[in-house]
Formats: sequence, structure tokens, C-alpha cells
Amino acid sequence: MVLSTTVSQRKHIKRKAPRGFLKRVFKRQKPHLRLETSGDLLMHLNCLLFVHRLAEESRTNACENKCGIIKKEHVLAAAKVILKKSRG
Amino acid sequence: MGGAGGFWVPGPEGKGLQAKISDEGSSLHPLLPPPCIIQSCWSLHRAQRALLETPSSRRLSSQTKTTARRRSQRIRSIGKLAHVQASGYLEEQTPRTLLKNILLTAPESSIVMPKSVVKPGPVPQVVQPSSRESSRGSLELQLPELEPPTTLAPGLLAPGRRKQRLRLSVFQEGMDKGLPLSQESRGNADASSLTSSLNLTFATPLQPQSVQRPGLARRPPTRRAVDVGAFLQDLRDTSLALAPPDTVLEDTQPFSQPLVGRSPSVHHSLPCPSHSGAEDAERAVSHRTRSTGPRLQNNSPGKPAQLLAGKAEVDALAMNFPNTSSSIFGEVGVEPLQDGVGGEAEERTEKSLSMSKVKEAARARGSARAQEPEGHTQVTEAEGSQGAIETKEPEGSSGDCPTSSRRVSPELASSTPEFLQAKRIQGLEPAPPPSTAVLPSEPLEPLSARLPPRARTPGPKACQNPYKTGLSHYAKLFSFYAKMPMEKKALEMVEKCLDKYFQHLCDDLEMFAAHAGRKTVRPEDLELLMRRQGLVTDQVSLHVLVERHLPLEYRQLLIPCAFSGNSVFPAQ
Repeated sequence: MVLSTTVSQRKHIKRKAPRGFLKRVFKRQKPHLRLETSGDLLMHLNCLLFVHRLAEESRTNACENKCGIIKKEHVLAAAKVILKKSRG
Repeated sequence: MGGAGGFWVPGPEGKGLQAKISDEGSSLHPLLPPPCIIQSCWSLHRAQRALLETPSSRRLSSQTKTTARRRSQRIRSIGKLAHVQASGYLEEQTPRTLLKNILLTAPESSIVMPKSVVKPGPVPQVVQPSSRESSRGSLELQLPELEPPTTLAPGLLAPGRRKQRLRLSVFQEGMDKGLPLSQESRGNADASSLTSSLNLTFATPLQPQSVQRPGLARRPPTRRAVDVGAFLQDLRDTSLALAPPDTVLEDTQPFSQPLVGRSPSVHHSLPCPSHSGAEDAERAVSHRTRSTGPRLQNNSPGKPAQLLAGKAEVDALAMNFPNTSSSIFGEVGVEPLQDGVGGEAEERTEKSLSMSKVKEAARARGSARAQEPEGHTQVTEAEGSQGAIETKEPEGSSGDCPTSSRRVSPELASSTPEFLQAKRIQGLEPAPPPSTAVLPSEPLEPLSARLPPRARTPGPKACQNPYKTGLSHYAKLFSFYAKMPMEKKALEMVEKCLDKYFQHLCDDLEMFAAHAGRKTVRPEDLELLMRRQGLVTDQVSLHVLVERHLPLEYRQLLIPCAFSGNSVFPAQ
């Protein structure tokens, strides 16, 4: 990977889905189940969207508290909401 | 094309054409152009045809091919000029003016003279004439043969003649191509091509060369003031890897020359720098010697020189570098120099540099590093240069290279920041840097120092806790999406949430799969999950989300797309 001077750029570059990681996680949780090939990509998509929503919510919380930094409390509150939403 | 009607026999000038025409049963009415024009045109064409036919007939076996080839050659020569001139002139000129030009420029009607003049003309051109042009060309060539008939001179004023000529051309084209052509265009085309062909012999424009290949035209070197500080910085930072822009620029096939040129030049670079290069090399040497310190001078003159010269030049330049640097470079050093110097060239240099450099590296060094290709891909990233250099450093065969390359790269940097950076990266990455051990000069030290930590970073963390690594990947994405500074504790919190989320995810998927009576979780389960989560709605489909958030490679795997051969991938 290229060393980028800015953080965001690095994130941009790392768009690869950790497919091995996702497969391992699924296997650990549900060893009796199998996951299809494209399934882990969609899982990655799901994670991305979850993280995205979580970040938006945390940022909203931080801005409401007029904080320039996202703090643990903001994240916690956001996680509660989003996890509730993400329940299938 | 090809002999639609019959044989194209390369006999005496008139016969072949006439035979062809007669074979096709031309119902053409011969026109009687002004004798002087016809004579000149005819002789011209005859000479042209003679020149063109002989080589082509030798080459081609089949008659039809010969015919087509000859035609195409003629057409090319005519078309090229026509192309050049037509583009410039056609719009403004009328057939009448074209004819006037011919009359003005036409030489005495003699076979000898036109031949000499014709030589520059019928040079096979790259320009591919349109079918219309080709038909025009063939038609025109045939015209002179038909002696009485169709007027060669474009825009014969007699309307009746023109009509007849058009008819002939129509017939010819119809025979050849079966394409209906508009009279007007044909007439104009004929006129223009004829004029062009005629004009071609008489006034060979040098312009077309550069017009058609603008990239080859020399551009005045952009001279920029050299920032010594930046230069020194670049010296330290950059490594070898330079693509020979000159080779690229010289010929239009960057791959052929660099490979050939490099290896010999590489070997010969050190022993005889003065001899290795052609005039360019010497020029480069002189350029280099002129100002080793101020790169600007070197860059500017070096640029065009390099562009023109082949590897030899770069070698010469490389030789100069050793003068300034402590060590003499090996072949490796030469190449980086080339890359560095060439980096200043235009984008094609860039491309060729990267390509040639990559090739060069693979071959000369004999070690195609994995990093090189990846570094190559990173060319576009300016920041990556340093990293690329670092990775390259240890790989190189000779230690001297980095010094030279580094020097070269600073040059690049000084002249054009963005260009240089990209080129530097390109040049640096493909050229494998010399071994770290040999790096004598100080600039090498920081690079080598940088290298080991870079290699070490991904290792330990991944091994210790792969699960943590995966979570941290998503945590980083969180901080990216948030676009706000975050506390470390907040990140840890995010990782905890992710853990919970994964648990929920797996449970849900298990439920869905069980509901469908399956033991395998399939993409449909995922889609159902997203629908329940409210991510996929009637307005926003799964494919839309896939396109928005996933990179292209994954999109291709997920979204079925139709390919050629009536196949769909991925198969459904």
C-alpha cells in the first residue's frame, strides 16, 4: 500500500474487504453453517453501512453536545440506537 | 476492396487500369480534360503508381491483395496529403480553386521530374483513408489512364464532365465497395484528393508529420528556477527508478526500444559514456557537465535531449551523475537516471517510463519484485514515491544506483512538482534500487532506515490478534466516516459495538437460512437482512447500495452483468 500523508487517503485506499476475517468470524459464531462466496461481500457491505450509520449518529451526538471531538459517550449512545435499528 | 470486377494486372501504365475498368464493364463516358492538365496529372499518377505498384506487387501474392494494397498505398499517400490538405483546405477551397492550384503548381509534364518529386509523396502513411478516400484514390488513379475520360483535375469546370466523372466514380466505388456515395461528396473528395495528390508531389508539406504526431513535436523545455532545498530534499528522498523518456519519445513503440536499447546501453554505459550515446548522449553529457549543481539547466536541455536520445543519452547522463556523486553507477544506476531525466517529459514519457521501467527492471535486474508492480500502480500517488523508493532500495542490484537515481529524481521534482512526483514514483518503482548495503551516500541512509520499520508494521499486530485487526479495520472506517477527531477510547467503544453487531448478524443470518430450510447462508439472506434493517427499501435497491459503497471489483462479483457471447456473470 502506498504511504499517504493524509489519513483519509489511506482509508480510501483500503477498500478491500477483509473476506478472510469475515469468513472466520462467521465460522466461529456458527460452525454448523456455511457461507457462500458472495455472501461475505454482502456481509462486508452490511458492516460498512452499519459503521456508516454509527459514525453519522456519533457525529450528530457530538455536534449536539457542541464537542469538536467524538467521545466515548457519544459513541455509546449512538451504538444503542443503531444496534436497535440493525436488529433483523 | 479487391478486384471486384476483375484482375488488376500491373502492366504498363494504362493497360491495367483500362483492363480493370473494361472488365467491370464500365459504362463510363470518357471525358476530355484539358490536355495539359491531363498530361501532368497522368504522368504524375503514372510515376506514383509505378513507385507504388512495384514494391506492392512484389510483396503481395494475390492479385486482389495487390490491387487492394496498391490502392491502399496510393490512397494512403494521396489520402495522407488529402487528409492533411483537405482538412486545412477543403473547406475553403472549391474545386475551381483546387484546379487552379494544380495548374499553378503543376510541373512540366515529364516522367522524370514527377518521379523525384513524387518520392516523398507516396511514403506510406499511417493515416488510414476512409473508404471514400480510397475509392477516390483508386478512381483518380484510374482516371489518368482513361486518357480521354474522366478529368483528373478536380473540379473540371465543365459541369457535364463533372457529372460524368461522378458517374464514373460512382460506378467505380459501387464496383469496389458497393457503397453508394453522394455525388457531391465524391466530387469534392475527388477534387481534393486529386489536388492533394498533385500538390503532394510538388509541395510536400512537412507539417503533416507533426500535425499527425503532435506528441513527437519538440516542445520548448520549461525552465523553472531550482529550489536548492527542495532539490536536496529530493536527492535524499528519491531513489533511482527513472524511465527513459527519450526512448519513448523517439519511437512510438515504447516497449520495443526500451528493452532493446536499455540492455546494450546499460552494459555500455559505464565503459564509454561518450561513445555510447549518439549526438544526444553527447549533448546530454554536455548538458550535464554544464551544470551539475543547478538541475534546472540540465533538466531543460536534458529534457529535449533525452527525449530524442535513446538510452545512450541517459547513460551519458548517468555518467555525468557519477561525476557529481561519489560512485559510478552500474547499469542499474543508468536506468534510474534515465527515468529521472525522462521524467520531465510529457505524459507519454510518464507512461513509457513506467512501462519501460517496469520491463527494464524485470529484465535488467532479473528480479521482478512484487513491489515494483505495486509501486507502479501507485505511480499516481505522489506521496507514495518515498515509500516506493524505500521498498525499491533494498531490492536493487547495485548500490550505486540510488545515488544517481536520487539525483535524477530531484531534478524531476524541481522542474515539475506533480509531474516529477508521478514520474519519480514511476521511475523509481520500476527500477529496482541497489542493495541497501552498498548505499554509500547519506541520502540512502534515511531511506534504508525507513524501509525496515515499514516492513515490520503489518506483521506483529496481525499475528497477535487477527480478530482485533479485523475490528480495527472497521474502526478506522468509522473514523473516516465520522470526519471528526476521535478519542482512542471512542475507537475501542466502536470495536465493542462491532463485536456485538457481528454476533447479531450471524444470528439473524442463521435464522433466515433456517427459515428457508437451508444450511448455507446465501446472498438472498443477506438481502433480506438489509431489507429488515431498513437499508434496502423500495426506492433503494441492493444493487444501488453495492454500487455506492463497494469498489468495482466487488461490484462485478455481486451484480450480474451481461457479457459477450450471451453470457452473464456471475451466473444466476
